Amino acid sequence: MQTALQLVMTGLQIGSVYMLFSLGLTLIFGVMKIVNFAHGQFFTLSAMLVAVLVPWLTTRGVSLPVAFGLGALAGIAVSIVVGLLLYQFGFRYFQRDLVGSFILSIGFALLFEGVFLHYFGGAVRAVPPIIDGDVSFFGVNLTAQRLALGLVALAFTLALYWVLSATRLGKAMRAVSIDHEAAMLQGIPYKKIVFNSFAIATFLGAVAGAIMAPISVITPTVGADYLVKGFIAVVIGGLGSVPGAIVGSLFIGFLESVGGYFFDPSSANMAIFVLAMLILLLRPKGVMGNG
Amino acid sequence: MKMGNKFAVLLAALGVVAINAASVHAEEIIKLGLSVPLSGAGANWGKGSELLCHEAAKEVKAGGGVKVGGKIYNFECIAYDNKYTAAEGTKVAQTLLKRDNVKFIGGSLGTAPVRALQSLTEREGVLMFTTAWGPSIKGPKFPLTFTQMNTPSEVLFPLIKFAKEANPSIKTVAFLNPNDATGQEVEVVARKAWEAVGVNVVSSDWYERGTTEFQPIAVKLARLKADAVDLGAAPPAEAGRVLKELKALGWKGVQVVPVATGAEGLVATGGDAVDKTYTGAAVTFDGPTATARQRQLNEVMIKATGESMNTIQIGFYDAVIALKTAMEKAQSVQPEAVAKVLPEITFDSLYGSKAAFGGKQTYGSPQQILIPVIITQMKGLKLVELQRIESGELKQRIAR
Repeated sequence: MQTALQLVMTGLQIGSVYMLFSLGLTLIFGVMKIVNFAHGQFFTLSAMLVAVLVPWLTTRGVSLPVAFGLGALAGIAVSIVVGLLLYQFGFRYFQRDLVGSFILSIGFALLFEGVFLHYFGGAVRAVPPIIDGDVSFFGVNLTAQRLALGLVALAFTLALYWVLSATRLGKAMRAVSIDHEAAMLQGIPYKKIVFNSFAIATFLGAVAGAIMAPISVITPTVGADYLVKGFIAVVIGGLGSVPGAIVGSLFIGFLESVGGYFFDPSSANMAIFVLAMLILLLRPKGVMGNG
Repeated sequence: MKMGNKFAVLLAALGVVAINAASVHAEEIIKLGLSVPLSGAGANWGKGSELLCHEAAKEVKAGGGVKVGGKIYNFECIAYDNKYTAAEGTKVAQTLLKRDNVKFIGGSLGTAPVRALQSLTEREGVLMFTTAWGPSIKGPKFPLTFTQMNTPSEVLFPLIKFAKEANPSIKTVAFLNPNDATGQEVEVVARKAWEAVGVNVVSSDWYERGTTEFQPIAVKLARLKADAVDLGAAPPAEAGRVLKELKALGWKGVQVVPVATGAEGLVATGGDAVDKTYTGAAVTFDGPTATARQRQLNEVMIKATGESMNTIQIGFYDAVIALKTAMEKAQSVQPEAVAKVLPEITFDSLYGSKAAFGGKQTYGSPQQILIPVIITQMKGLKLVELQRIESGELKQRIAR
C-alpha cells in the first residue's frame, strides 16, 4: 500500500510539471492550429537563467529564496520577451499552417539550442534546493521542494482553467479555437487574442522551467526531453484540448512512475512511445480531442 | 625619405616577412583529433579533456617539440562534440578523418561514439587513444587502439573489494546504469566484481542519459532494501541526483559510483546525500602525493570548468606525452610505426610517476595504460583518497 501511494504521489508530481508544459503547447495549437516545437526552448531559457542567476546572486549576499525569486522572475520575463519576438517575426505569418510552422519552430529550436550551448556552455548546472526537508505521510516520503513544486503547478493549472472559463479573454480564446472566422464575425479581436494566447503559453513553459530548476539537472538541451513528453501528453489527451492535456500529462507521469518502478526508466520511456502510437491508431484525435 | 630609400626599406621589410613565413612553414603540425561530449551531463569531461590536450601540447612545444628525422613537430588539438551518442560520434569521426585528415586521435570518450570512431580509425590506419570503458573496443583485432585511463577491469575489482571490506555487512547490491554501450559493458564487469566478493546482485536497471527525473527509479531502489547501490557508468551529475532522491526516500546504504570523477559534480546535484560515496575515477590534489604540475593544472581546470581535474582528463594529457615519446623512439610520425613502439616505451605521466602500456594478459594485446588505481570516498562534501594501488605490471616494466 505504501509503495502504491508513493508511486501515485511520484506520478502526480512528475505529471504536474508536464501539465504546465503541455498546457502551453495545447493552447497554442488550439488558438493558432500550429505545433510549436520551439516551446521547450522557453522552458530551457527560464531554467538556465535561474541556474545562472541564483549562484550569482547568492555569492553577492542575496538570500537563497530571494535569489530564486529574482532568478525565476528574470527567467520568465526574458522567456516571454523572446517568445513574443518569435511570434511577432515568425509564427504570426504561419498561423494555421502546420507544415510551415513545423519547419519554422524546428529551426527556432535548433537555433536556440546552439545559442544556449554557446553562451551557457554545455556543462550541467544545478540549483540548490530552495526548501529543505522531507515530508512523510502514510509511509510516503517526498522532499518539501517537490511538494511545493506540485502545488505551484496545480495553482497555475487552476488559474488557467479559471481564465479560460470565467474571463472575457478565456472565452474569446475558446471561441477562436472552435471557429476563428465565426469568432471574428462576432467582433472578437482575433490578432490580439492570438498574441495573448502565445504570451500565456510561453509564460506557462517558462514557469515550468523555473520551478523545475531546483530539482532537476539543467543543461541547454533540458527542454527537449520535456517537449517530447509534453507533446505526447497533448497527443494522448487530444491536440487543442485543455482537459486532454491535463489527463495526458498525469497519465505520462503515472506511466513514468509505475513503469520506472516495475521495470526501469528506459522501459517506461519505451512504453510511453508505444502508448502514443496505439492511441494515434485507435483514437487519432486523442482521448478527449474533438476537433 | 627619398624614393630609393623607401624602396630599400620596403624590400627589407618584405625580406623579414618572407623569412618569418619560411620559419612558420618549417614547424610541422600533427593534428590530434578529439571526439568528446561538449554538451550534456558529460560536457565537463569533454571540455576538461580538450583543455588538458592543449596544455600538454603547449608543454611539448615549450620543451622543443617532437624531434623526428631532423624535423620538429608540434601538436594541435581539434575537438568536436560527440554528445555521447553513436550517431554524433559517427559525424565526428567523419569530420576528423575525412575533413581534418587527422592521423592521430588524441582522445575519445564514450563507448558508443568511440565504437563509431574505431570502425574508421582501424580501417584507415589512424592511431586512436580512448578513455571508453567498454571492454569490447580492446583486443588484438584493434592494433591501433590504446586506452588512456583505467577501465572497469582495472578499477571495479579493487574498488568493490575495498567497499566490501570496509562494509562487511553488504550482502546485496542494486545496479543502475545508463542504457548505452558504456553502461551495458560496465554492468557485466561490475556483476563479476560484486559476485567475486560474495555479494548478491538483486536488480540491474537502466536509464537514458540526459534523464532529468530519477524519482521513480529511486523508489524502486529504495524498496528493494539492498545493502548497497552501484551507479556504474552514471556521470557525477546524474549519480548525485539519484543519491539525493534515495536519501529523500529514507534509504541508507553503501553508495558506489565507480565513474564519479570528482566531488563537485556529485555535490552540485546530490548535496549532502553523496556523503560516504565510494568513487573510482577521481583524484585528489590536496594530499602529499600531489605534484606541483598537478596542482597548477588543477587550478587551470577549476577556473575553466568549475570542477577539479579528473582521471579522464589526465588521460588526454598523458596521451600527448606518450605520443611524443613513442614518435621520438620510432623516429616516425606514421601511426602504424608509432603504435608498434607504444607498448615498449615508458613515459612521464601526469600522475607524477612513470606510465606505460600493457594489459596483454587481460585483453590479448598490450594496449591498456598502466597507471595507479585510486580509490576515493566522499567525506562530507570533500573527496578523500583512501587507497592508491600501483600496477604490478608497470613495476616490473620499470624494474626491467
